[in-house]
Amino acid sequence: MEKSQNQPIFSVSDFIAVFNQTLEYAYPNVEIEGEVSSFKVNQGKFIFFDIKDKGGSVGCFMTVWQMRVPIEDGMKIIVSAVPKLTQWGKFSLTVKSVWPSGEGAIKKSFELLKLKLETEGLFAPERKRQLPVIPEHIAVISSTQAAGYADFIKILGDRWGGIKVDVAHVQVQGEAAPDQIIRAINYFNQQELLPEVIVIIRGGGSADDLSAFNDEPLVRAIAGSRIPTLVGVGHEIDESLADLAADVRASTPSNAAQILVPDRAEIIRAVNTQVKSLLPRVLQAINQQKQAIDVTLSAVLETIEMAIDEKIRQLKSLKNVLVQLNPKTVLARGYALIRGDIKVGAMIEIETSNVIIGAEVKNVSKR
Amino acid sequence: MSVKDKTIQEKTIELTKLVGWFDGDDFKLEAALDKFKEAEDLAADIEKDLLSLKNEIQIVKQKFDSDN
Repeated sequence: MEKSQNQPIFSVSDFIAVFNQTLEYAYPNVEIEGEVSSFKVNQGKFIFFDIKDKGGSVGCFMTVWQMRVPIEDGMKIIVSAVPKLTQWGKFSLTVKSVWPSGEGAIKKSFELLKLKLETEGLFAPERKRQLPVIPEHIAVISSTQAAGYADFIKILGDRWGGIKVDVAHVQVQGEAAPDQIIRAINYFNQQELLPEVIVIIRGGGSADDLSAFNDEPLVRAIAGSRIPTLVGVGHEIDESLADLAADVRASTPSNAAQILVPDRAEIIRAVNTQVKSLLPRVLQAINQQKQAIDVTLSAVLETIEMAIDEKIRQLKSLKNVLVQLNPKTVLARGYALIRGDIKVGAMIEIETSNVIIGAEVKNVSKR
Repeated sequence: MSVKDKTIQEKTIELTKLVGWFDGDDFKLEAALDKFKEAEDLAADIEKDLLSLKNEIQIVKQKFDSDN
């Protein structure tokens, strides 16, 4: 057989290189959705698995540190990969990243990672630190264009003021989000003047939108932050692994602001109520004083009344004596009053209670 | 330190102490009116301070889309 004109003859190695160059030119990156099978980890570093559907199967290769979410056989995933022909002639996908696809796979991946991190103690209650009662300097990691961020800033401003708020603008969904958030966490942790809290917020979204917050390195960065963390992602019903790793979990970005600072309107109400409550106390003290005065006054009055009664009683007694001593009283009892010289022949006057008698003394004799 | 120089927290502590005086053994009716006025002024001051506080929001210049 003759060599065709203009047909190059490759060495095997060259063919593989040219083939890979052509592949790279045509498909610099592909995203493929399929089901995982034959998943295995070699030497704790290299991951091999197949991604398949009803019509075919392709081998995949990646390193352990590229695997940000756990996967296992049977899970539906999407891989972002570079197609490659290996030096042994086997077609393979060199996977750059992988993420679960579909509700079931996302949930499964979530549960696997949750169990792994829980076993390591990343979510343990004893690791949780308290947030300052009223922080003066906080860091916020969010997308400044997101509604959740706007809600947080508004409620924070409504409730409290005087806080220095440093904001790191990052993507809060998509493949790039976890790394951006990790860089922002590291940035704040390296500041000379550390914020008192790092607040990571994102509004609601689909399970896929929120999956960035179930990224293993991000969850570890939150758990490892030397600055206490407050995470408010999604709606009340959403639970992310970032929530579980945070020192404090908020159900929403608005709730994060509510947890972070007190409500100044409530404090003003409480302060005014406190002051208003003093007036009844003063009135009560006045009443008590008045009652004490009344009691003293009553006692004094009683003493005076008793003294007066005693004097009246004494007067009555004297009056009785006087009445008894009244000559008319004596005359009324049948006695008579004699006036004049008591000598024989003298004229005397005898007064009884009802008559006055003129009489002459006939004799006087001693008893 | 004058009332103007005190922080909200210091003023709140002072108000709490004043309120406590009304419940304590040192309470004297003769001094109550002055103390009440003092508490009223402090409460008004705290309210004014709280309402005037604004947050200072600053977007950091650092970009986080790459390691640089």
